[in-house]
Amino acid sequence: MPLEDFAGEMDRCSQCSYCKWIPFDQMKSWRFAKNCPSIAYYNFNSYSARGRYAVARSLIRGQIGYTDTLRRIIFTCLTCGSCDVSCKVCRYNLEPLEMVRELKFRAVEDGQGLDAHVAVIESVRKDQNTMSQPRAQRGDWADGLDVPRLPREKAEVVFHAGCRYSYDPALHAAARAAVTLLKNAGIRVGIMGEREMCCGGRIYSMGYRDEFTRLARANFKAWADAGVKTVVTSCADGYHAFKRLYPRLGLQVEVLHTVEFIARLLEEGKIPFRSSVPLTVTYHDPCHLGRQGEPYVPWDGVEKKILNQIIVYEPRRPRYNGAWGVYDPPRAVLRAIPGIELVEMERIREYSWCCGAGGGVREVYPEFSMWTAAERLTEAKATGAEALVSACPWCERNFLDAMDGNGEPVQVCDIVDLVWKATR
Amino acid sequence: MPLPKHIYQAFEDIVGPENISDDPAVLDSYRYSLAHTAIHVGPFYDTFTPRGLAVLLPGSTEEVQAIVRLCNKYGIKFKASSTFWSAQGYPSDDNTIQLDMRRMDRILEIDEKNMFAVIEPGVIGATLQAEAMKVGLNTHIQGAGCSCSPLASATSYFGSGPSNLFAGSHYENMLGVEWVMPTGEILRTGALGSGCGWFCGEGPGPSLRAIFRGSTGAKGAMGVFTKCAIKLFPWPGPDKLPVEGIIPAYRVSLPNFRAYTLAFPSWKAWTDAVHLIWETGIGYLAHRQFNMFGRDLKFAMIKILTDPNRTLSDLEELLQDPEVQRVTEESRRDFQIVLAGMTPRDLEWQERALDEILARTGGWKVEAMQEPEIHDWALLYLLRLGHKNLNLVYAGGYDGCFGFLGVPDYGAPNVEEVTEFKREWEKRGAIVAAGGDCMMGPIGGQGGGGTCLWENFTCFDPHDRESVEGTYKFFSACTEYGIKRGWGVGMENWNAAAVGPDGRTPPKEVRDKIHLSAPQPSIYRYQYKIRKAFNPNNLGDAYYETLEDD
Repeated sequence: MPLEDFAGEMDRCSQCSYCKWIPFDQMKSWRFAKNCPSIAYYNFNSYSARGRYAVARSLIRGQIGYTDTLRRIIFTCLTCGSCDVSCKVCRYNLEPLEMVRELKFRAVEDGQGLDAHVAVIESVRKDQNTMSQPRAQRGDWADGLDVPRLPREKAEVVFHAGCRYSYDPALHAAARAAVTLLKNAGIRVGIMGEREMCCGGRIYSMGYRDEFTRLARANFKAWADAGVKTVVTSCADGYHAFKRLYPRLGLQVEVLHTVEFIARLLEEGKIPFRSSVPLTVTYHDPCHLGRQGEPYVPWDGVEKKILNQIIVYEPRRPRYNGAWGVYDPPRAVLRAIPGIELVEMERIREYSWCCGAGGGVREVYPEFSMWTAAERLTEAKATGAEALVSACPWCERNFLDAMDGNGEPVQVCDIVDLVWKATR
Repeated sequence: MPLPKHIYQAFEDIVGPENISDDPAVLDSYRYSLAHTAIHVGPFYDTFTPRGLAVLLPGSTEEVQAIVRLCNKYGIKFKASSTFWSAQGYPSDDNTIQLDMRRMDRILEIDEKNMFAVIEPGVIGATLQAEAMKVGLNTHIQGAGCSCSPLASATSYFGSGPSNLFAGSHYENMLGVEWVMPTGEILRTGALGSGCGWFCGEGPGPSLRAIFRGSTGAKGAMGVFTKCAIKLFPWPGPDKLPVEGIIPAYRVSLPNFRAYTLAFPSWKAWTDAVHLIWETGIGYLAHRQFNMFGRDLKFAMIKILTDPNRTLSDLEELLQDPEVQRVTEESRRDFQIVLAGMTPRDLEWQERALDEILARTGGWKVEAMQEPEIHDWALLYLLRLGHKNLNLVYAGGYDGCFGFLGVPDYGAPNVEEVTEFKREWEKRGAIVAAGGDCMMGPIGGQGGGGTCLWENFTCFDPHDRESVEGTYKFFSACTEYGIKRGWGVGMENWNAAAVGPDGRTPPKEVRDKIHLSAPQPSIYRYQYKIRKAFNPNNLGDAYYETLEDD
């Protein structure tokens, strides 16, 4: 919906600054109390959700124009959604994450997109990936894997590797392990190989809605042509795109993150563990699997008032506040692995700290992105864990890069890596 | 008008380029909407506090001092704010720079033995509480909630809140203070001024509490407070709150704590119970909190807030539920109290004392509020006070009106009259129809009790001109009614001398008229003398209230 349609929210924002903190009830220390990386790093109000509401209001009223500072305010939002969760501890009629996304769309429509993002878009248009890599190499990660290649062969379940797994050789093992685990559990799972395309989730969060829509329709058609009924991915960004964004376009397919699938297979006794993995680990909830991983609920309604001035929606509007994200399956999987001891960080589940890779920030503001990841490494280290485990290649890559840049040293791995080890 | 380049550069040299901005987008995120709530004036539709000349993020006392000295050199006003809860923290004049104190957010010390913490302005109640709990201590949290700065409320406002009763309000809890005076000099008050540490606010050394706070706190108009020590008090709970539940229905179960909603057959019984609680010395905190949702809506709202599947869209249906209606009626004259046992025997004694108080006054514990999920939600809510954004839950706008500050026998007898007055206005449609009585406030305005404060919350839609203007008319009527009844000007107009309908300081004639009509105008004459002595270049704003009629 157009930015102007958020004018009511801009005026109704509480200006309370809850968007800068994890839910207060969950605070356990001074050190790990903040939630929004952009206000934590840049400090000015304008880098928080409440500030972005104010900035957007001034923009649509023509009271401010685009400057380098305004572009930074807009594009340093990681779209991690932590502000959204904290706001909605109390508010039922604000959607700060949706508003900030719309602010990005507006900036791009106004020709204010950033050069590094434009380069990503060109790569997507040319090679269908965000990594500026040749399309022909997209399936290389799966070389030698004995799984069906769609659409040449048929399978009702497709594993979508995503751009990061496809082109980051250091992470190939996790993608290969995911597919092999499913296959060994008796699932006929295929891959699209070099025909796979970017999910579009990351460019959506950069503000390129039209390009996202093109990719969504193309992916959906490719799956339909191949007879796919279920999409499985190990990438949280992809999961969110397929599960929450595609249905907005009317493109609905069953979507499972690998951890959900593995948790299901473990319950069914289809993944036998053979080894112990003696490791103390802590789990990082990826934003797009956790708080933004809630199921999509269609809604087409209007705002109305009851009792004179109480704002509600007709029909009842679905509420996305992180309550029903994917938090328990990854923890169930970790707890099931022999030898693993799971210790929790202070900021977890719906109020997890972001890895810093999202929203197009990694591509444009690397210093800020690395700082955000380093914060998480410090938090992980504080638990005494030997390893920081995630369920998203973008998180993993950002943590690895932050460690190279002097972040706290801790082993970083994907949850699938540990499952794989335990099955050997 | 922007800051001249050489002055901007001089400020930038102090804080560094990353900590100063005069970009309009940044400046506009430091303008407060007076359509929303200004605490306590307005609301004024589509009105904002003025755009500052620049925003600075100082990182140390030395930087603050250097900024203030430059302001004196160039005649620029400055306004410091920590957490920006209300209009009071924003510029109310042109030619003002905004200091955002969020970078100075360190808890410098927690002195477990002497039970105090030394904090900077950007520390919030929640972080201080979380750290204090680790050593068996707690901090009082002001009524605006744990998102706000204890230093700001101690040095510059009231600091009143639910735990006044046990812990004292923040203006009572303030010990040593480091003050960058309006001239740029640094003054350390209390024991700190004699190099004896932070432990006492009054000495040995200069006590200047009344000087820099003025009658009701200077609200950022008299220099910048860069550090202060705050008293802490015992916390007989775990080092971390074992929070459970699905957002937003977080809850905590603590074996030696009880949260009760008490209700009474009459306001006289209500008042008697308050006095008896104070006399008995029981209670960790006490507040009429959930009534802020409105007499008719409060239990339905609690049902929504304690169920992660519910939203405001369920409100109308819940209001038709006979059980909700029964509990709503039952809790008409209520307040919340939390008992905390330092030992099991202590808790048992307090429970028995409370039962005796209820027996004597005919009061009761509202049973529905004892249902475990509701009890544990209420306990967590009251202990941490981390849901105060609920003040704005209905449509994003609220403010308090009337405001009886005094002994309970002063406010309680007027509740029904005020309720009826507000209910009539609710029928006109501009404000939320909540049952007229949204009176809320602390049971005990200071340590040990003594007073209550009754603030009648009024909720409206800041995006709706008719709602805002209708609310303003209602507030004006409240003021008129309060004066007619001899109650004086209510909270709805407390800041009328500091900020006007254009978001700026009203002219001197308006301010003088307001101050001359006060019961004790000499306070403001005296404050004028103080301001002349301590703030000779007058670089604050009218939140430090003065009467200049000599």
